[in-house]
Amino acid sequence: MPERGCEFVIETDRLSKRFGRKLALRELTLRVPRGGIHALVGSNGAGKSTLFRVLLGLLPADGGTSRVLGVDSRRLDPATRGRVGLVHEEHTLPGWMSAGELRRMQRGLYPRWDETCFDEVIGHFQVDARQRVGQLSRGERAGLNLALALAQSPELLILDEPTLGLDVVARQAFLESLLFLGAQEGRTIVYCSHQMDEVERVADDLIVLERGELASLTSPEELCRRITCWVADALPPVLAPGEVPGLLQSRTIGGQQHLVVLDSDDALAARLTALGGRHVERLPLSFDRAINAYLTRDHAAPVAIADPVATTPSAGGAR
Amino acid sequence: MITVTTGDSRPIFRQIIDAIRVKIAGGELAPGDKLPSVRSLAMQLTVNTNTVAKAYAELTAEGLIESRAGVGVFVSPPRRRLSDEERERRLAEAVDHFVGAVATLGFEPEDIVARLSAVLDDLLVHHR
Repeated sequence: MPERGCEFVIETDRLSKRFGRKLALRELTLRVPRGGIHALVGSNGAGKSTLFRVLLGLLPADGGTSRVLGVDSRRLDPATRGRVGLVHEEHTLPGWMSAGELRRMQRGLYPRWDETCFDEVIGHFQVDARQRVGQLSRGERAGLNLALALAQSPELLILDEPTLGLDVVARQAFLESLLFLGAQEGRTIVYCSHQMDEVERVADDLIVLERGELASLTSPEELCRRITCWVADALPPVLAPGEVPGLLQSRTIGGQQHLVVLDSDDALAARLTALGGRHVERLPLSFDRAINAYLTRDHAAPVAIADPVATTPSAGGAR
Repeated sequence: MITVTTGDSRPIFRQIIDAIRVKIAGGELAPGDKLPSVRSLAMQLTVNTNTVAKAYAELTAEGLIESRAGVGVFVSPPRRRLSDEERERRLAEAVDHFVGAVATLGFEPEDIVARLSAVLDDLLVHHR
């Protein structure tokens, strides 16, 4: 019997999934509480899409368990499935059907179908019910997909990179529809995206996956507060591992080292000076730079960016 | 008109708080003026309503705005809202933050101070 009003809409316990030699989910333990908008972020290959597929019973796990709305993913009944809405980046819909025909088809499948909501959302995208899906632009298809998902009145709405490839106008319409027609009391939204400006706008809660594991689950500000940027001259271009504890990212820009560090304290300034750094300063960091640095740690560092003035032989001293 | 940007070093709720504080200090928002509802402002800015709610909660805690049940959110009448210690603490924190942001820009201290003076004079002129 599916549990109604369960405390966690998504629960995994040491969930593992392997593809050949690659471990996509690595004993992932995650609990997503009911309510609000949870943003799920992670680099490509972090396991986000695999997680959704296992959660919704589309893929079997290799180890551990997962539950959606209190029901085991391997035993999802149609009634529980009907309480979960899914909007996926591909926005695949049958090209030959009109929006109205799709609505009629879906309406019959969902007991809590909200016709007004459907009309409001497609209206926001200026999609007419008579238009065929095949004639719609990518942005309009995304809007139609969102309308179909929201009209189901889902208890849990999962969106997997829904605005990928959408132009500015369609993205704006999508976010507005989601925030003001989609988000409501009793509904939980899981929004999976690489677009940090969108995450910054919508997230109550930030879930970070890294290499198949849970790296962080806090409010966006709490994670940002832990990440700072330090700039110094004259540091050695390559720092030995462990020389700067918590180093997420190191870039050389115009002869200066820019270090993005996790959980640094004021003692770091002294440490950088001891390593040879001069003019050590802290710079403010935007949300997207902070989170992207957090996500790219342990990944290959880019080539140093040289100061164009310094590399021009005829120019005077760069400093 | 309040605007916020993503990619700012301040989180969105802080940008909202700062924008409203500046408008109140500068007189653009006067005591008794009605603020947009949480939902209205969230729609205007295309942000999560909880973000606006958080900003409004902090401004309410500071005594700058007040909610009147069933009517809306309004700018509070002016009164000494913070203790001397708290005012001193906030000023020290803001100075540190400001100095950290401008220290490496290469301006002369007197130019920085002159710029700061001009902006403050402009903002607070009718509170003199």
